[in-house]
Amino acid sequence: MSQNLENSNQDSLISVRVIDIITALLFIVVGLVVMFGSLKLGANWSSDGPEAGYFPFYISVIMLLSSAVNLYQAAIVHKKTEAFVNKESFKQVMAVLLPAIVFVLGVQLIGIYVSSVFYIAFFMVWLGKYRIWKAIVVSVGVSVTLYLLFEFWFQIPLPHGSWFNPLELVGVQ
Amino acid sequence: MCNKNYQLKNEEKDLKKGFKLEEINALFNGFAIAMSPFNLLLMLVGVTLGVIIGVLPGLGGANGIAILLPLTFTMSPTSAIIMLSCIYWGALFGGAITSILFNIPGEPWSVATTFDGYPMARKGKAGQALTAAFTSSFVGALFAIVMITFLAPLVAKFALKFGPPEFFAVYLLTFCSFVGMNKGSPFKTISAMMLGFALATVGMDTVTGQLRLTFGNPELMRGFDFLIAVIGLFGIGEILLSMEEGLAFQGAAAKIRRQ
Repeated sequence: MSQNLENSNQDSLISVRVIDIITALLFIVVGLVVMFGSLKLGANWSSDGPEAGYFPFYISVIMLLSSAVNLYQAAIVHKKTEAFVNKESFKQVMAVLLPAIVFVLGVQLIGIYVSSVFYIAFFMVWLGKYRIWKAIVVSVGVSVTLYLLFEFWFQIPLPHGSWFNPLELVGVQ
Repeated sequence: MCNKNYQLKNEEKDLKKGFKLEEINALFNGFAIAMSPFNLLLMLVGVTLGVIIGVLPGLGGANGIAILLPLTFTMSPTSAIIMLSCIYWGALFGGAITSILFNIPGEPWSVATTFDGYPMARKGKAGQALTAAFTSSFVGALFAIVMITFLAPLVAKFALKFGPPEFFAVYLLTFCSFVGMNKGSPFKTISAMMLGFALATVGMDTVTGQLRLTFGNPELMRGFDFLIAVIGLFGIGEILLSMEEGLAFQGAAAKIRRQ
């Protein structure tokens, strides 16, 4: 993801080749992590059967081999120069992705109900071009409904915020 | 050994002799119980609730039954099972409504309905498409019930013979066909598949009881939930893809009833 962000600053578009190479490298990194993790656990056949790392070790071997082929094909064989994403679409995708990342952070820090009020209102005003009062009514309504639904009916506690719980200000838990 | 074989054969003969009549008898006995007015009312309520659940994307038949289970606590077991099965059938049909009207499949099994149901709705034939979906749901459910009534004993016998080697064979066939049927590079498919396997191995190892690949993080002890992987990879991916293609909701006015 961070590579995508860096490339967005350049004027040139990202080609499929670059994305393929990045993906193959990421897969190789994951494969190495799995391989070292399973080697630490023991990837042999002991007296009482396979050790804990036996299956993941061979999974990582297959993953490394196939990703190496992918890397080779992307970098050397098929040099796909067509664009992976153009600038306008990339902006559109980021317009959804970045607020979503902020929303997930907000869920962790200040709880899901207050964050979703801001998230829904922000999207309605900014992308949907709704009137502000409509956005506030809908977002607060959705959050209150979710609160009643999950806290009272389903009895499932959703994250209330690890850093600061704004619901405490209103007096509800 | 010989004696046991003989006994088994005898049992099989008995099964064949009384096979059909007994099943039909049981089936009609079941109808007699189900056809009481109270149970018929419960069917109506159950199917209505099931359709509502089916229309909501993400909530399927199994979830719907889990959510509406408290409704049945005061009923007799037979009525409760009738209501729950009606919720399930209703949810099966409910998924078709959104796929026909909005091109959004409410359930995984109504994805195929979007292929021809949505184009029909755009031509103004939404009513016909819904009727076709409902009729096919009804006919399919009827045949499924008849099949399960007569085949269930045979399937039950076969199911016990299905051991680890057979499971391995089925899974191997599945994953090989993923690689074979994919249009792109087979190595990409293999890489993605192995990533899935690697994610599935995180957590407690069922054989040795050791913690695998958690890297000291207690949150990873239970492994990655399947739902999280599906929503993260498909749900969010689908949203981002539709943003990339531009937000253009293609809709058309369609009437349910001819006026």
